[in-house]
Amino acid sequence: MKRLFLPFFLFLFLVSEGVALELLPPSLITGNLLIVPHWVFMFLVLIAIFYDKEDTYYSVLYGFIFGLLIDIVYTGVLGVYMFSYALVIYVIHGLKKMLHGNVFVSILLGIVGLSLADIAINVIYTVAGIASMVWKDYLLYRLLPTLLLNLVFLLFLYPIFVKRLTRWGRDQLFSNNSL
Amino acid sequence: MAFFRNKKLFIILIGVIVLVALIGFSLKERSNLTTAEQFVNDTVGWAQHIIYAPVEFVSDIFTNIDDFRDTYKENQILKEKLSQYKGLIYEVQEIKEENKELRNLLDLKESESLRDYEPIQATVMSRSPERWIEQVTINKGKQDGVKANMAVITADGMVGKVQTPSQFTSTVKLLTGFDQFNRISATISREKGEGKNIVGMIEGFDEESNSLLFRIIEKSDKDVKEGELVFSSGMGGVFPAGLPIGTVKETAPDKYGLTKTALIEPAADMYEINQVMVVDRSIATDEKTEDKEEE
Repeated sequence: MKRLFLPFFLFLFLVSEGVALELLPPSLITGNLLIVPHWVFMFLVLIAIFYDKEDTYYSVLYGFIFGLLIDIVYTGVLGVYMFSYALVIYVIHGLKKMLHGNVFVSILLGIVGLSLADIAINVIYTVAGIASMVWKDYLLYRLLPTLLLNLVFLLFLYPIFVKRLTRWGRDQLFSNNSL
Repeated sequence: MAFFRNKKLFIILIGVIVLVALIGFSLKERSNLTTAEQFVNDTVGWAQHIIYAPVEFVSDIFTNIDDFRDTYKENQILKEKLSQYKGLIYEVQEIKEENKELRNLLDLKESESLRDYEPIQATVMSRSPERWIEQVTINKGKQDGVKANMAVITADGMVGKVQTPSQFTSTVKLLTGFDQFNRISATISREKGEGKNIVGMIEGFDEESNSLLFRIIEKSDKDVKEGELVFSSGMGGVFPAGLPIGTVKETAPDKYGLTKTALIEPAADMYEINQVMVVDRSIATDEKTEDKEEE
């Protein structure tokens, strides 16, 4: 039963991403800034740091599945989020071995991961001909505001989930080392 | 062979291939989603429905407070307008009856008018968080009669078209996301003395000026004035005629000086959409009539 908590929360964030833009004041949406909520990704970063052990890759698997769901539900272009999320979470999973899991490391890995993921998504969309934005504009109008907003979300998640994630990881991953 | 023993690199490589294949698959023109996609869309749509209710409740409270402030002023304006409308209603009735009689004279059946449509009421549930893709989800799907490429309107005017319907939800492509693959045949109507109607195509959206590009075709009159209303012309075969699209902001000649492009400010607000209507054109589309003729 407890194993269903993680997919449940990820699904909740996936669903609320679509409603999120309704919550922000319209001036932010109509303006130049392109703010993209990557809440699923922020939660995946926490999972990668605190839930997964060194030899388990649940976060990558979840990144793959929920990236694909985002593709289906919100964009219709399959594979973009799936690939970017899974790859970047894999990189984060590798990086966390070198660092100790605390709030600063989470922020650092959150920033690095989100930048990588959003840039990867943007590159794929540019190649596919969906997005067309000069790089300077992209960094200024999309990447920076997106980073800020999602970091706020990460800091909001951190106190709620860190202890729980560690506990769930201890309970579930030591009993059987599958995957 | 050492390369293939490197499992990680191998998996990433396969991932890239799958990615390219999937993007290619989803970018080609398709109006029907696979069953799996429809299932996911409906499930998420159902969950959004639950989450959206309290969110809308809270945001409604704030809009209500805003509304109260302007109520008095609005009331005055509305009263004035109401008296104007009374005259208009009478006029419209007259014109409708006259139209009917004239149609009867010409032996045109009422149901074959390009203007007629049946609205399907729907509520917007979510907007795509990926900002490159201008897409919203509505809570009506195939089960309610929504089909691909139907026009979607609000009270103010056109907002987009149905991109892919699932069983209980559908995704709508907004006008702001239109490109050269999603054209609308549009027109600016003129009274008889002033020359011919101006016809052309809405060919896309310009991000910089926040306006739609209306390419006026060569042979029609080119002196478009600012503030003129642009309507759908019903000639494209999908949308009914007479849906307001927007007003002319300015005109500019195109690269070769042969045609003129007008910048159109959309009539409907693309960012605060809540209630929409999916427009089901009453007249059969071209394909269907062709089929019948073949039989």
